[in-house]
Amino acid sequence: MPRVAIVCALAPLIINACGGHEPRETGRQSAAAARVSAPQDTSFAGTTAPVQRAARPGTPPRVLRSVAATSGPGYDRVVFEFAEDSVPGYHVEYTTKPVRRCGSGDPVSVAGAGSLVVRLEPAQAHDARGNPTLAERERALGLPAVREMKLVCDFEGQVEWVLGVVAAGPYRVLASPGPGRLVVDIRHRP
Amino acid sequence: MTAWLRAAFIVLVAACREAPVGPCPSPRVAGSAAEQAAPVVRRSPFDSAFASAGAEFHVPPTLLKAIGWVETRWEMVQGAEEFAGRAPAFGVMALRGAALERGAARAGVTPEAARRDPLANIRAAAALLDAFADEAAIDRSRNEQWSGVIARYSEIERPDGRAAYGREVDRALGGVPPQLARAPAPAPTACLPPPPPGSGGAPDYPPGVWRASPNFNARPSDSTGRVHVLIIHTCESNYTGCWSWLVNPASQASVHYVVSEDGNEISQLVHESDRAWHIAATYDCTLNRRHDCWLNGVQSNDFTVGIEHAGFASQGSFPTSQLEASATLACDVTRDRGIPRDWQHIVGHGQLQPATRTDPGPNWPWIAYVHRVQALCGETVVDDSAPFNDPALAAAAVPAAWTASDTTPDYYGGGYRWASTQPDATDVAAFSFRLAAPASRAVDARWTSGTNRSPHAAYAVISSAGDTLALVRVDQTTGGGRWRALGTWAFPAGWNRVVLLRRGTAGSVVVADAVRVRE
Repeated sequence: MPRVAIVCALAPLIINACGGHEPRETGRQSAAAARVSAPQDTSFAGTTAPVQRAARPGTPPRVLRSVAATSGPGYDRVVFEFAEDSVPGYHVEYTTKPVRRCGSGDPVSVAGAGSLVVRLEPAQAHDARGNPTLAERERALGLPAVREMKLVCDFEGQVEWVLGVVAAGPYRVLASPGPGRLVVDIRHRP
Repeated sequence: MTAWLRAAFIVLVAACREAPVGPCPSPRVAGSAAEQAAPVVRRSPFDSAFASAGAEFHVPPTLLKAIGWVETRWEMVQGAEEFAGRAPAFGVMALRGAALERGAARAGVTPEAARRDPLANIRAAAALLDAFADEAAIDRSRNEQWSGVIARYSEIERPDGRAAYGREVDRALGGVPPQLARAPAPAPTACLPPPPPGSGGAPDYPPGVWRASPNFNARPSDSTGRVHVLIIHTCESNYTGCWSWLVNPASQASVHYVVSEDGNEISQLVHESDRAWHIAATYDCTLNRRHDCWLNGVQSNDFTVGIEHAGFASQGSFPTSQLEASATLACDVTRDRGIPRDWQHIVGHGQLQPATRTDPGPNWPWIAYVHRVQALCGETVVDDSAPFNDPALAAAAVPAAWTASDTTPDYYGGGYRWASTQPDATDVAAFSFRLAAPASRAVDARWTSGTNRSPHAAYAVISSAGDTLALVRVDQTTGGGRWRALGTWAFPAGWNRVVLLRRGTAGSVVVADAVRVRE
């Protein structure tokens, strides 16, 4: 299992393949996202470098329908679940620049010493009739690694979250299909 | 889908059609493709099903067909759950959840059949509309009474969203979209678009539909808040999805204008005088031909007006009617705001925010678009280089010995040409423009200024007949980056010219950038 995790972290291009090897989760409801059964090893190496995978051009937007955050053994897990069977393109990285709302340009601050930006594209967190698909767009978490998370962009096919973390430590990104889920695991500090 | 609105629409449409005062006013953008045949008169793959289901459940078949058009464009969709608590939509009629089950039961088909089989789907929808009509105790022979039923079918909660849905049904039926009145008031005046109730304002752009967004604030009161750049966007969605999200406070985003796919409708969400929320980037002049570097670091929403276009940055082309409607709007905004119509002042979102945006994408026809904005505003510009000229109207001839440069900013197009003055020089930079008929035109010139420029640069104005109408001297050491009026003359038809002479006292340079001709 550690081998799988390392491959996933180092080679985003095969993340979906990795996801295919994961055991199926137990529940079908959105709330079960928190229990998504990606590898549960506690010793993944992770990375602090950007992790990204672009969507194929012309891909229709994925609709984000739930976000769940929990603390696991040795890491915190944030799960983005989509209405479709696959995930959109994504770009995850730590930033030291001010995080801004993509519409107003207003700066957004989050608790913690590090800011991990998770950008999803093409994606939206609202439906075709202008109703949000996520009621909670800011969340104080107080987990060991992730203190809070805020939705800073849901505009022109981009959804962007910023996770306020205790320190800019190693993380990994996993994607799994049916329904599409993007999992970001952030290691607890040793 | 809220059925309320749908019904209200039909009512108003019917009223419009029966109004003795003639046609409803042409709604939105002049010259648009509003005259296209209404969808309900076109053939669809499901015409027999609409007819038989309508007859069976006493629902107008054209209404079924119009709703099917609005919902799915007559395609059998297999929906996905958009968000928790909202069931996916199925079939031509986009039935979902409890409504699908109820309609299916009344039509005597299984829910699965209603999801997968077109006839069962349309019959289930008709049965549902039948039930709604019964419950509302409407007189089915009166078109206007269907409005509440349509609205209920739509399941949309927001009143303005319902209104938009109704307008779409109305359009599909071939009517002219009225603004939705809250109560059915089928007087002839219902055809006139009044300001929507409670909108608190009217659009700056009269043909626009005012849909107020709460997502805005005040522009800075100092010079950084002066509106002088237009930003072109794509929604990355369809029209209704675009504006309906941007008027929702949850979006924390907005824009001044949204142009529909076919250009038949433009929404205004925020007054131009207010600061809409459409671009995250702070200004960096290196991304904009080093124009106005004093604004570096200023939040770009402060001084810009945004126009969203329904569609995607990845699309291969943009509909002609959408571009025309957008250019008409852009002419209006630039004229009202005194914004120059060039590529520093009409720019793409992706250009100013390349880290995260590409819109309006590689296939936005920038040169043709700005030319169209100029033409609609009655001007033609002749640049020193061919790529920025419309060859039917404008042409420049600059000798190869004149050096190309873009060192000094605020040129027109991609740069300018310069040459050292010489007392005996005979070469000129010629800017030619074609007139189809004799006309009086104002002529402006543009250069980039600097201390080495000629204080006596000479422009000769020459008619298509070869007559020199005037020789105008300007001081190019100042006034660069702006249009400077040379004068107004009566020109004959054909290719007239304005030429910049190189001849002059040695020791300075003349700059040939562009010439503008105005009605």
